[in-house]
Amino acid sequence: MPAIQVEDLHKQFDPPKGPVAVDDVTFAIEEGEIFSLLGPNGAGKTTTISMLSCLLRPDSGDAWVGGHSVSKESDRVRELIGVVPQEIALYEDLSGRENLLFWGRMYGMGGAELNTRVDEVLELIGLVDRQKDRVDKYSGGMKRRVNIGAALLHRPRFLYLDEPTVGIDPQSRRSILDGVKDLNRQGVTVLYTTHYMEEAQELSDRVGIMDQGKMIALGTQPELVRLVGESTRVDVVLDREAESLAARWREAEGIATVSSSEDGRVSLLATDANTLMPQLFDDARAADARITDISLAEPNLETVFLHLTGRALRD
Amino acid sequence: MRALSIAWKDIRHIYRDFAALAMMLVAPLLLAAALGSAFGAGDNFALPAVHTVVVDLDLPAATGSTDRAAAERERAGSHIVEVLTSPELDDVLDTTVLESAEAARAAVDEGEADVAVIIPAGLSERLSQASAPGNEPMVVEVYKDPAVTVGPAIVSAIVGSVTQSLDGARAAASTAVELAVDVGEVDPEKLVALAGATAEAYVSAAQQTEAVSIADRGPNIAGGEDRPDPNVASQVLVGMMIFFMLFGGATAARSIIDEHRNGTLFRLFTTPTPRSMILAGKYVGVFIVVLVQSVILLLVGWLLFGARWGAIGPVIALTLAGALVASSLGLLTVSFAKTPAQAGAGSAAIFVFLGLVGGNFMGTANVEGTFASVRRFTPNGWLIEGWGEVLYGGSWGNVAVPLLASVAFSLVFFLLATWFFRRRYA
Repeated sequence: MPAIQVEDLHKQFDPPKGPVAVDDVTFAIEEGEIFSLLGPNGAGKTTTISMLSCLLRPDSGDAWVGGHSVSKESDRVRELIGVVPQEIALYEDLSGRENLLFWGRMYGMGGAELNTRVDEVLELIGLVDRQKDRVDKYSGGMKRRVNIGAALLHRPRFLYLDEPTVGIDPQSRRSILDGVKDLNRQGVTVLYTTHYMEEAQELSDRVGIMDQGKMIALGTQPELVRLVGESTRVDVVLDREAESLAARWREAEGIATVSSSEDGRVSLLATDANTLMPQLFDDARAADARITDISLAEPNLETVFLHLTGRALRD
Repeated sequence: MRALSIAWKDIRHIYRDFAALAMMLVAPLLLAAALGSAFGAGDNFALPAVHTVVVDLDLPAATGSTDRAAAERERAGSHIVEVLTSPELDDVLDTTVLESAEAARAAVDEGEADVAVIIPAGLSERLSQASAPGNEPMVVEVYKDPAVTVGPAIVSAIVGSVTQSLDGARAAASTAVELAVDVGEVDPEKLVALAGATAEAYVSAAQQTEAVSIADRGPNIAGGEDRPDPNVASQVLVGMMIFFMLFGGATAARSIIDEHRNGTLFRLFTTPTPRSMILAGKYVGVFIVVLVQSVILLLVGWLLFGARWGAIGPVIALTLAGALVASSLGLLTVSFAKTPAQAGAGSAAIFVFLGLVGGNFMGTANVEGTFASVRRFTPNGWLIEGWGEVLYGGSWGNVAVPLLASVAFSLVFFLLATWFFRRRYA
């Protein structure tokens, strides 16, 4: 049996008219794997991770973590998992060390064992020097690191990280991504949610792409990219008429998918980018618009999402 | 242990919050101190003594020193001064004798005295000849601070009573002399002696006759008659303590909403700590916060205000019951709020209503009739009743019913709060 097995997980808020947050999602995560759930905001990633954390009860379906059902054996599941929530969930009036001690106690730890483990975790997250400072004196990145450290105290077999790099500086982000890879090398199975394609690409053994509550694609990165075929992604930035040109290109031959955003950016998947480029400039000139930036990219997870949904991840 | 860790964390959070501490500890002490000083530091709600200055200008004509001293004692002014400075009125009047009307008025103007009594020169002569044709009535002047009303009224009443007594003596003497003349007595020495004896008899009779009979009812608590009454500050502090304990309980309970909003509550739910234990930790934290609050207030009341709380056993039981009521009601008011603002506004409205109905603003003052019945619909009303009993010397038998009633209220509140929380976080 996989380390984590999810079968037909379904969750609707405020039924019967409320939104379906997770719509019969099925996937599996193998022991020692880093598995990323990639999708835009509102895709259902956090709701999925909440059900796997025993925070939300599924309407139907079930998931097994380490062989234990999240519906029927939530106490056992909670002993196996460490959860890093999307928002920083710490006590700001306690120091970093006091926070770790408190969360350690909540995992049933105590005494010398807890103190030693807190020292180790402080070392791991690089906050030994600032351990006695109150958390409200920390930078955003330092808080994020304590937020992760609190989930590592009991040496969890499974680590869930729900968008752990939102709103932090590049240096802290790098530190977190490296830390996740280190933990994985130590044998921790990681479930990671993000809407940053680069993070999913860098970290993941396999990626599940979610959109509007559904798992729309699942596999290793090469497997997912193959879904796009030989298409090249073309990103165009226009000073005006982006919407009308996007509509026009949507109908054009040789363009698989088009998405546009309010900032004038239009993303296309072209089967032959070399042939397409002059046409794009001609069309822009005809519409009295100017292309201010253009870039080509080989297919990646972003391209996959665009291919599958007709929308960019940032949308 | 995990529940205690949660409780300890919450307690530390509350006691690091200066605004919460000010509301829980400083506000009730300030109110008790203010009301206590307003009503005096003594027993019951006594008015503070009226600062009075008196000037006696009603002096006899200059004669030999022995004669003058004897003559002074007979003067109306001396009688008034004697009454105003008598030890029986020490609780009511704090009187100082001054030498001049100017000094007396200046004392009032400068706020050193509430009222000045200025006895005019020749008052005795005018009183003895008041019925003579053409004699203008002469009055004792009472000069007062316009902002003060009760004190001057008391002084005026006392001075008026003395002058009326002297006037009555004069009228009695005058009538006796007229009757003697009517029956043919013409010897001036005999008439003077008669007038003096009549006036003296009138005053003596007036002093000995009690126009009003005041009797104390029997004590409510058997055996409590030897016990001194509790002072005002302690009576006020009980009401304030229970009232602000309710706020203390709600403030501590609000940590549940704060943790909900900060995400730490949901993080707690992802740990192996059962939800029932998390809730229990929260409950214990709230209970300890209000228990510590009440113990501090009781100790400070004892040390600063000289409060005599009563028998130790019932006092401990009432303190625990108060903490139970405050924590359970605090949790209940928070359990159906979604935001700290909602919880704050909702609980404040509920507590002020309960405070008014339960009698928190009256302290342990004895109340009767409808109000005494209505306040028993509130847990704080029962607590105040219990404290009233124990403050006046009551023991277990007197506080048993209030204790049971308040604990019953707590139980209901705890069950309701638990039901709301479980429904929200199931």
